[in-house]
Formats: sequence, C-alpha cells, structure tokens
Amino acid sequence: MKLQCVSLWLLGTIMILCSVENHGLRRCLISTDMHHIEESFQEIKRAIQAKDTFPNVTILSTLETLQIIKPLDVCCVTKNLLAFYVDRVFKDHQEPNPKILRKISSIANSFLYMQKTLRQCQEQRQCHCRQEATNATRVIHDNYDQLEVRAAAIKSLGELNVFLAWINKNHEVTSSA
Amino acid sequence: MQTFTMVLEEIWTSLFMWFFYALIPCLLTDEVAILPAPQNLSVLSTNMKHLLMWSPVIAPGETVYYSVEYQGEYESLYTSHIWIPSSWCSLTEGPECDVTDDITATVPYNLRVRATLGSQTSAWSILKHPFNRNSTILTPPGMEITKDGFHLVIELEDLGPQFEFLVAYWRREPGAEEHVKMVRSGGIPVHLETMEPGAAYCVKAQTFVKAIGRYSAFSQTECVEVQGEAIPLVLALFAFVGFMLILVVVPLFVWKMGRLLQYSCCPMVVLPDTLKITNSPQKLISCRREEVDACAMAVMSPEELLRAWIS
Repeated sequence: MKLQCVSLWLLGTIMILCSVENHGLRRCLISTDMHHIEESFQEIKRAIQAKDTFPNVTILSTLETLQIIKPLDVCCVTKNLLAFYVDRVFKDHQEPNPKILRKISSIANSFLYMQKTLRQCQEQRQCHCRQEATNATRVIHDNYDQLEVRAAAIKSLGELNVFLAWINKNHEVTSSA
Repeated sequence: MQTFTMVLEEIWTSLFMWFFYALIPCLLTDEVAILPAPQNLSVLSTNMKHLLMWSPVIAPGETVYYSVEYQGEYESLYTSHIWIPSSWCSLTEGPECDVTDDITATVPYNLRVRATLGSQTSAWSILKHPFNRNSTILTPPGMEITKDGFHLVIELEDLGPQFEFLVAYWRREPGAEEHVKMVRSGGIPVHLETMEPGAAYCVKAQTFVKAIGRYSAFSQTECVEVQGEAIPLVLALFAFVGFMLILVVVPLFVWKMGRLLQYSCCPMVVLPDTLKITNSPQKLISCRREEVDACAMAVMSPEELLRAWIS
C-alpha cells in the first residue's frame, strides 16, 4: 500500500514537473513577431516555389508527420531546424532578385534572433535532445543532401511555410496583428 | 649625321610627350578632388521609425545623390560580401534615409552610404556602430479621454501594427484599485469603464512593442469627473409626498368650488313650513253661506292661494 502511494506520488510529481517544463519551453518564442515572418514569406512564396524542380520530393517530411514530435522534443527540434536553415539553406541559396533577397534577408535575420531567444530560454531550462528528435532532424538533413545543393536550398525555402506553421502550433506564439 | 639628329629629336619628343602624359594625372589630382564620402553617419530611431542621417557632400551648383545599403547580422556573419540596396534610398537627394522597412529583425544591422555626382561615385562610408532596433526611443502615447454619458472612453495614438498599449485606470479616491487593460491597436475608441455619478476617474497609458520586448514610459495622468445628476433621497421623498397631496387636494377643491357656484347662481326655491298646505284645497275656502253664490267654488293651487292672501 505504502509502495503504491509513493509510486503514485512520484508519478504525479514527474507529470507536474513535465507540464511545467513544457509550458515554460512553449513560452520561449512568445516574443517573436511570427506574423511578420509569415508575411515576408507569403510575398516570395510563389516565386520561390516556381523555381522548385522536384515537386514530388519533400525535405521537411518528418515535420509533416507531426504526431511523432512529442512536446519534450519541441525545443530540440526547433533549435536544430533553425540551425538547418541559418547554417545551410540561406547560405546555399544565391538570390539575384533584390526584392526577393530583401525578404529572404528579413527571414534569415529573424531566425537568427529566434536562435538567440531560444538560447536564453535554454540557459534557464534544459533543452535535451532525445534520440527521436535527433533522428527526425537527421532525416531532414539526409533529404537535403540527396538533392543538388541549389535545388535543395530552393526546395527548403519553399517549405518554410511548413516550418512556420509547426512553430506556431508548438510554441503558442501569438501574432501581433 | 642629319638622320642621327632627326632620330635624336624624335626620341626627345617622345620622351617629352611621355613625361607630359605621365604628369597629367598628378596635375589633375591636385586640381580636381575625388568625390568625398559622406561623413558623420548616425541613426535617429523613435517609436520604431529609423532614420539614417549623414553630413551632405557639398558640390556647388550640382545635385549630389546618395545610395544606401544594409547588411543584417546574418549577412555579416555568413555572407559578408553581400550588401542589400535599401528599399527607398537608391539615388536619393536628401542627406537622410528612412530605413524602417529595411530593419526588419531585432539584430544589429550595418549601414553604408556613398555619394554620386554624374559619373563620379565616392567611397562607401559605413555606420560606426551597427544599429539594433531594440535601442529605439519609445515615447509615451498620445491619448484622448472622453465621456460618452457615463462611459469612460479612450482613444490612443495609432503607432502602427507593432505597438500595443497598456491602459491603467482607477477611481480617484483613497485605496481605490487600479485596473489594467491591454489595447491591441490605436486609433479606435475603446470603452474602459461605466462611471458612477459624482466620482472622478484617472487614466494613464504606455506602449509595448512585442518585437523588442520593451515598454515606453507612462503618459501623463488624465482625470475626468461625472456630475451627480440624481436628486438626493430626501428631496425625492418630499417631492413624492407633495405629489400625493396634490392628487387628493385638487379634486376636493374642484368639488367644493362647484357646489359654491351652484348655490350662488342657481338656488332652489323652498316654501317655509308655515305656508305649506297639508289638507285639500277645497276646505280652505272660508266663505259664508250667503256669500256662497258670490264665491266661486274653485279649486286653487297653493301658489294662487298665496297670491290671493298677499294681495
């Protein structure tokens, strides 16, 4: 009887701690102006997606099967995907059109700001990367590597709406508009 | 001999020409300066509107044009050779540029300007310290407090989509609770509270910019008062009693006046009791037997009897 009580109590404490931690992590990106980033992307979406030469392939495939991303993995996946875009995609894409370049610059710099915000959040709470989260981001990198660099970069840019929608869903970000 | 002299002369002329041509650039650079780069670059940023300013390049009688380019922290870290032309300031006349539409993330931005005069362009002049929009000066918002009957209404200055407002209001009495309301955008009247008559209410507001996570200072407090329109209770009681009295007294008065009028203008005529005839009229005729013939046995009404008696 005592053992049952103790184990129930432990389970309850763990659940409370998890929900508190999750809620805290969910609030990490709350100050980001997601609306502006989405607006910037909408303006260039058609032009970018028109240049996509492999319409039947998806790079952010693991994000689309959202069920496998558990709340505990949100911080890690967000951190990894921001790094994916900032370190690889934006750098690999050479944009000749100044209008589109301005919008991509705006998104890239906003992602940089989000990385900084997330890092501050991580310092207060731990952002462990579990195996599932690491696997999910590795699949994305593998998908990217299978294509030619320029095509992969264009395709990833075109799939930004998938990533932005995922952030909105998992970070409870309220838009300012 | 002549040929030799001629050759010497030719060489001498060539040398002279070459020397002359070599000197031209030196002479020219001394006489005509290269277009100088704009100096004293600075950014004035108020309420998320960013203005890049510089000292103008003076060229008497000519119009100098300026071009502005920017580079976010991303570009400076990952693609440092890439500078992006400003949205509004490619070949602008004034020594300033509104870079609000270019600075779209809360990261440090490098900015550079160069002057153009005809075919000449100056070197690029770069802003000394990169500009981050979180250093913008936030001013307290302008607000208009109005009374719509008993409703306390506030209209805040429209500062754009990046601004939200925090409005604090309270009743001006000791120990009153301060209420706080978040207003998402300015330029629209917002209802705060339904006021109680005779009380004073005070309001102050500040802005909040979510993109940089900063608040402005509070505006000056403004207070409004609503006049007490309700009559005090005692007065209301008196008014009620008076009204009831009037309801009772007026009909009574009217009825009395009616009776008075009736008596004064159209009274009823009534015979005194002593003149009232109680028996049949035939028995009152007192005639002696001998005068019976003289007296006509006539039936007379009481009025005719009275007249005969009087006459």
